[in-house]
Amino acid sequence: MTLQAWLTAAGGAVALVLLGWLALTRTVLGRGLAVPLRAMFVKPETASYPEAPRPTAPRFHGRHQLNRYADGLEKCIGCELCAWACPADAIFVQGGDNTEEQRFSPGERYAEDYQINYNRCILCGLCIEACPTRALTMTQEYEIAADSREGLIWTKDMLLVDPPEDGYDTPHTDREVRDRGLNYYGGLAVTPPTRKGGSFAPATAAPLQRAGAVVPRRELPLVPPGTGDAEGEPDGDGGSAGAGDA
Amino acid sequence: MSAPAAPGAASAEDLVTLTIDGEQVSVPKGTLIIRAAEMVGTIVPRFCDHPLLDPVGACRQCVVEVEGQPKPVMSCTVPVAEDMVVRTHLTSAMARRGQEGTLELLLVNHPLDCPMCDKGGECPLQDQALAHGANQSRFLDQKRKYEKPVAVSPQVLLDRERCVLCARCTRFSEQISGDPFIELFERGALEQVAIYEDEPYHSYFSGNTIQICPVGALTSTSYRFKARSFDVVTTPSVCDGCSAGCGQTVQSRRGEVQRQLARTNMDVNEAWNCDKGRFSFPHLTHAQRLTTPMERVDGELVPTTWSRALARVADAVRASQDVGPGRTALVSGGRLADEDAHVAARLARTVLGTDLVEHRTRFAPADEAPARAVLLARAGGAPGLTYADVEHAPVIVVAGLDPEEEVPVLHLRLRKAWRQHRARIVVVGPHLGTLDGIAWRRVATAPGAEPAALAALAYGDGEIAAALRGDGAPAVLVGERAGAGSLAAGTRLAEAVGGGVAFVPRRAGDAGGLAAGLAPGLLPGGRLLADAADRAEVEAAWGPLPAHLDGAAPVDGLRGILAAAADGAVDVLLLAGADLARDAQSAALAERALARVAGAGTVVVQDLALTETAARYADVVLPVTATQERDGARTDWEGRAQRFRRAVDAPELAQDDWEAFVQLAAVLGHRLYGSLDAIRAEQEQLGVRAAAHPLPEAASAGSTGAPSGDALLAVVRPLLLDGGTMLAGADDLRATARAATVGVSRADAARLGIVDGADVTVTGAGGATVTLPTAVLPDLVPGAVVLPRTSTEPPVTRLADEDGVVAVTLAPVAVPAEVGA
Amino acid sequence: MGLEEKLPSGILLTNLERLVNYARSTSLWPATFGLACCAIEMMATGGPRHDIARFGMEVFRASPRQADLMIVAGRVSNKMAPVLRRIYDQMSDPKWVLSMGVCATSGGMFNNYALVQGVDHVVPVDMYVPGCPPRPEMLLDGLIKLHAKIQGESFADQAASA
Repeated sequence: MTLQAWLTAAGGAVALVLLGWLALTRTVLGRGLAVPLRAMFVKPETASYPEAPRPTAPRFHGRHQLNRYADGLEKCIGCELCAWACPADAIFVQGGDNTEEQRFSPGERYAEDYQINYNRCILCGLCIEACPTRALTMTQEYEIAADSREGLIWTKDMLLVDPPEDGYDTPHTDREVRDRGLNYYGGLAVTPPTRKGGSFAPATAAPLQRAGAVVPRRELPLVPPGTGDAEGEPDGDGGSAGAGDA
Repeated sequence: MSAPAAPGAASAEDLVTLTIDGEQVSVPKGTLIIRAAEMVGTIVPRFCDHPLLDPVGACRQCVVEVEGQPKPVMSCTVPVAEDMVVRTHLTSAMARRGQEGTLELLLVNHPLDCPMCDKGGECPLQDQALAHGANQSRFLDQKRKYEKPVAVSPQVLLDRERCVLCARCTRFSEQISGDPFIELFERGALEQVAIYEDEPYHSYFSGNTIQICPVGALTSTSYRFKARSFDVVTTPSVCDGCSAGCGQTVQSRRGEVQRQLARTNMDVNEAWNCDKGRFSFPHLTHAQRLTTPMERVDGELVPTTWSRALARVADAVRASQDVGPGRTALVSGGRLADEDAHVAARLARTVLGTDLVEHRTRFAPADEAPARAVLLARAGGAPGLTYADVEHAPVIVVAGLDPEEEVPVLHLRLRKAWRQHRARIVVVGPHLGTLDGIAWRRVATAPGAEPAALAALAYGDGEIAAALRGDGAPAVLVGERAGAGSLAAGTRLAEAVGGGVAFVPRRAGDAGGLAAGLAPGLLPGGRLLADAADRAEVEAAWGPLPAHLDGAAPVDGLRGILAAAADGAVDVLLLAGADLARDAQSAALAERALARVAGAGTVVVQDLALTETAARYADVVLPVTATQERDGARTDWEGRAQRFRRAVDAPELAQDDWEAFVQLAAVLGHRLYGSLDAIRAEQEQLGVRAAAHPLPEAASAGSTGAPSGDALLAVVRPLLLDGGTMLAGADDLRATARAATVGVSRADAARLGIVDGADVTVTGAGGATVTLPTAVLPDLVPGAVVLPRTSTEPPVTRLADEDGVVAVTLAPVAVPAEVGA
Repeated sequence: MGLEEKLPSGILLTNLERLVNYARSTSLWPATFGLACCAIEMMATGGPRHDIARFGMEVFRASPRQADLMIVAGRVSNKMAPVLRRIYDQMSDPKWVLSMGVCATSGGMFNNYALVQGVDHVVPVDMYVPGCPPRPEMLLDGLIKLHAKIQGESFADQAASA
């Protein structure tokens, strides 16, 4: 080929490209055709939902869960504040009384029954704001459609997270809890205060100087797990009493 | 003291003018600053202050600034003075700072466990911390800790950590109920509420301390952790526990009663109620509760339908009417509402055609119902003697009544009269009972001999007569156990001394039953069946009454009905809320009558629970609704009718008593009423008799019949908390029941060699026995014993002879000889 | 309804059922029933990001005659209930209803006199999707579960429920 032929061909190609560019940008038809052409080189926007779901926003409100402490005790104390806060009246809580043999949560009260009705829940999150122990939080799970109304009522066993690896499912006995010596409520409760199971002991049965002892925080017995007093005390020592005696 | 009592006619010189927050106000002399502030619309924060309790100034939350005073003044203890200039927390920085400081110090030792505290949501401390408190606590150390909760009684739990030492509970128990068992112990930071070690806090009014506690220090066992105050449906109601007519608040959740509270009604119960009213609701859901109609087939009660059950009753009634008129009897217990009683009275008279009706399970003296009808007509449908009259009476005569056991809230009024107005309480009867602490004088009589003593009271120159004739209107309260003629005698006594008189029955439906004419010889509104004019008035509303009722002598109450039944003169016995086998004054006669009717005729029981009568004798059992489950009205002992509304749903197949009556009438071909309103309209239209009949002449005394030989005549007194079916399931409540004892006079104890506290065997008519510990009562007249009515097993009604008289012999239980000694 | 009604009894249609169910479940044509905010999310589900066309459902029909799935998206007022029922009746069998969002499911937070407390008071609902409003994935989740449900149906069930 001669140089002239090369130049002609190149000039023709440039003219073609120029014409093409003009046609695609300056004509109505061309501008329309340019869109699918461009799209051929763009990554598809479509999320392939069931196969590869996209992550939700970090603070997306999905279904709830009930949390546990590290030893498996439930954080929920059955206070019903979530039910109170709920604008859709979707939460039902029935409080119960922890006993020495059947302890579900630190303190006296636990949730005997806990239900969230996803037929009504609007996933607004007011309940988790109301929760005083962070027992109730929301997950980012949202695949909860069901083919019956009953299927959308989640009960406590469905909402409660699995016990942690080195913890146990509830109920625990007070002896176990005391032996572990874990601090609940950020260290404010050493061992759960106990109720004398069923017996109606008069108030004065408790030694007054012991019952009234005010324990400074630094003297709180912080028993590391595993080194707990194996003997324990036969009945509840009311939290501060051990330190008061020491 | 609290706000002055006499309202209205406060003349100008009794008024004190002062300035509160720049606003001039004139209030009666002696008003506390905190009340005066309420009158101008300023609510000064407070914990310890309660309008019905003496001021104490314990919490220091109510401080205000008074000009001229260097320090803040507690507004709940200081009465107003002329030209005082008060500035509350709204206008005074000093008062506000004082209140904030007090609140901060209160919160220093208060555990912030509001989420699990039963008071959370209705707690004054919580509210005020929110309204006036700081966001942050400056207190960094460990808070005070106690063992918790301590059971002060089986019903009341104490959390000492939460207590703010307002002394409301201790003041209540000391000033109002008079059971000073709760007390403040120790001092300073260790001060706490406690009880005496040996004596648990057993009071019939302990629930009130829970309600007035301004924090969650006192909580109730039955409500513990069951619901939250913001999660319950609140319905105003009226208590059906006794004839006191206390206002009540029923709180329910998911259709189940969670708790009941006293509703403030200053005319009746002020702000209090008794534990029976407060805690007895578990019977609504108890296993004994009837939920379906039943009929007896081959000796067994089997579930059936209403239509089958009613058809069976109707067939029995028709068969009985074929035999002869008036062979049907209707006995209602003390449970029926006013409307039920009215329908029952009409059903019995016009449909069943019988005068064998009764609303009392006791064998009342024959003149009691006519005398009460007279009082009803005299009062003209309004309350006769009221609580307020009793409170302000200078002298109160009480005969045959033990208010604390029978009408507890009346006892509180008597105590208030005694404590605040120095009322002189005169007890007429064989023993003082629970009035022993507040009675002024006592007129000892043999059981049943009260009328003569009442008649003699106003005369002579004794101190009682002088007191009765003094200033003010005395009050005469006649109870169920006063002998025949007592009410007439009491009425004449009241007339003679210018006072008021009232009959105080025990059961809630008693006054309404009488007003409906649910007694032999009576018609609604204090009318008499024997009076032609009365009959005409009633016939105008009801249609003609059967001719055979005309001129027939009324039978002698329940005793007469049961005797007729035992003789085979009754074919159908309708029992609406009456457990005759247990509750009839003579169980022996009741058993005989029930066995006869159950054998040859039909016994129909319409009740809340499967009672002993229903289980053993009923041919047809119909389930009905309880007070909390329906609309209606009840009349209390004053004659005050109060409506109540449905708070929870009844078991599906239960119907109101009046509906059951109306349906039975419909099956028998009579259309009675379509709605409660129709019944109420007719009650209104009938009203009471325009002019009262004359008082019945006193029956000849001495019908009590002195028992022969060694036998002692028993005063059978019901205890508030006994074996009644409406207490079923309320185990915490029943745990506080007073121990059943046999009260013996000193003389008899010495004669029979019985020591206080030792067990004795009480043998009654027919050889039935009950073994009970003895209580030697110094105030009991010799020859009498005091027995509890249905607190024992078997109930004392089994010891009665067929006239209902309980004459017993006592024998000490042989104690096994001490080994060694 | 169709084929199954014409057949004599005793003929098993297992594989045919599967085939028909597959066809039905993969070409559900929704009738638009956007009543409130949920409808916005339903539209988003139809958009490219979630692309309901992947399930053969892109043709939202404005005519009930051509639709076999009613997505009730939003609160059903008492006034709308008869309209909704009429449109449901006009849809040809077989047909399904999906209740989208808590308002349609139970009235949600609007527990008041104005709203039907759950569209299942008016029409039979086959799938309830909670949320307020449900994000498009939640609707897709409900649709996928509905597809699975349809694929498990038998002619006899449909004949019984129709």
